[in-house]
Amino acid sequence: MLSLRNIGLQKGSFTLKKISFDVKEHEYFVILGKTGSGKTLLLETIAGLHKHTGQVSYRRRDITAIPPEKRRVGFVYQDFALFPHLSVVKNIRFSERYRPQTSKVQWDELIDFLDLGDLLQRDIHYLSGGEKQRVALARAIYSRPDILLLDEPLSAIDPSFRNIIMERLKELKQRFQITAIHVTHNFHEAAYLADHIGVMMNGELVQQGSVQNVLHHPASVSIARFLGFRNILPGRLIEPKDNAHYFTVNPALIQISGHALENDYSIRGICRNSNEGLNHHEVMVDADGCVVFVHVPKRNYDPGLIHSGAAVHLSFPPSAVTFYQTSEELDEISV
Amino acid sequence: MKYLFNLTFILLAALVLLFIVIPLISIFSGVGWTGLSEAFNDSEIILSVWLTMKVSFYGTCLVLLTGLPLAYLIARNDFRGKAIIESIIDIPVMLPHTAAGIALLMAFNRGLMERFFSKLGIQFIDTEAGIMIAMMFLSSPFLINGAKEGFKNVDPKLENVARTLGAGRFSVFFRVALPNARKDIINGMLMMWSRGLGEFGAVVIIAYHPMIAPVLIYDRFNSYGLSYSAPVAAVMIAVSLTTFLLVRGLNNRKRA
Repeated sequence: MLSLRNIGLQKGSFTLKKISFDVKEHEYFVILGKTGSGKTLLLETIAGLHKHTGQVSYRRRDITAIPPEKRRVGFVYQDFALFPHLSVVKNIRFSERYRPQTSKVQWDELIDFLDLGDLLQRDIHYLSGGEKQRVALARAIYSRPDILLLDEPLSAIDPSFRNIIMERLKELKQRFQITAIHVTHNFHEAAYLADHIGVMMNGELVQQGSVQNVLHHPASVSIARFLGFRNILPGRLIEPKDNAHYFTVNPALIQISGHALENDYSIRGICRNSNEGLNHHEVMVDADGCVVFVHVPKRNYDPGLIHSGAAVHLSFPPSAVTFYQTSEELDEISV
Repeated sequence: MKYLFNLTFILLAALVLLFIVIPLISIFSGVGWTGLSEAFNDSEIILSVWLTMKVSFYGTCLVLLTGLPLAYLIARNDFRGKAIIESIIDIPVMLPHTAAGIALLMAFNRGLMERFFSKLGIQFIDTEAGIMIAMMFLSSPFLINGAKEGFKNVDPKLENVARTLGAGRFSVFFRVALPNARKDIINGMLMMWSRGLGEFGAVVIIAYHPMIAPVLIYDRFNSYGLSYSAPVAAVMIAVSLTTFLLVRGLNNRKRA
């Protein structure tokens, strides 16, 4: 297990504020955060590239003072950071001088796994983004790291190649017994790859937990906003437990009907607008001055019920709702 | 309007280029083929040119050894007093060369330094070592600043990755930083070396003899006049220009 305890650091305009989390052996941990939230700095700190306060330990051994070259971490940067003066094969084999050599079988497996056979003798200047990323991954894996640190590994790659790399990343941990920490701003990547997710905002790890927990039940209104939640609504609409100030509700789990449904929360409102999406209609309902977004599957869409000016009931089960008590965020919320 | 702009700028640009090229052409046309080939057979001239190139090269190598670490430290770190250190490096560029010669003489030919070096058997008055410190002092900024720019252009992420791949600091420097800054470093060496070839003011104060080419040109001009000094100048220009173009061409051909 990799454990970070109270990691603090200031570097230029970036800060890390007392970051603590654990990553279990062979787990895929994704840190979600906006650009500029300090994600790269955190990875570099785990790699041992910056002086910091707090403690990093791995397999119960304190590695805070261990230099990067002795830590057995692999690093893959967003812009790949391939050595421009070396060919593809020399890039991949860079670590050979310092680390025990991989056997021929393992080499072949790696080349096969990342489909690098045709690239080995090429000049790295003529590779596409996806090819460069595969080389960067191979270079990191070839050094036989215990922990692989991935800094936005998919954002500089064409969408058509992104899926291939995503699949490869998903297979990584079983295939090479690697623990991975992947930072990104992309929720889809996080949802697809992660065993656990941490959310980072302004240099602080504000929430961590299972994918389901974090992506569906953000711990605060600001996290909900960062995760792109559309329905961040004032508590008064549903008279919730504990007089919560705000609640969020998944637009796909709201049912529109002509009358209130039993055992569910229910809000009355007036239909305002409707946009047709790929699989559903997005309906905007005015509820006491607040806009509630509802996703109605196309097969359930009833123009007789849903039209501009129609009075409707919005019903949703308690499990679709997360409540927030956070009064300090009142000022920055506009609903 | 467009033509007027192009015409004015091209004309002015051509003027300054001609200003540089015409003296070079005049010296070769003035000396002529016979003069030049005689000069190439004059052992005093050839020895002097060789001495100039050799000593400047040694000086460049010495500064390479100490200047590269300095350039790397400045390029990679932010620290208090960095601006002062960068200014110190640039000081020789703005000093009058004779003043630099006097300063070197006072530093190396008196007191502790003089005793230290004479223990090592090194003397500076009228020796190659004297010529070398004069050349080094005045032309080292070209190498150090060139290398500094070179190192700055190497993405620190490359070095970070190399460290995670197991390379220690020395290894990272030699396997990543140096090869990727190579082009700027070689250009800096070339600039320093060429600048050293032309050094006169400081050298003449420390070591009139053995005569490097610029001193020989001056000496012959003073004693015998233009017709004796011009062939030396022509040989010096021919040799240094050829070397300069050759190294620069080779360096720029390969991608850094």
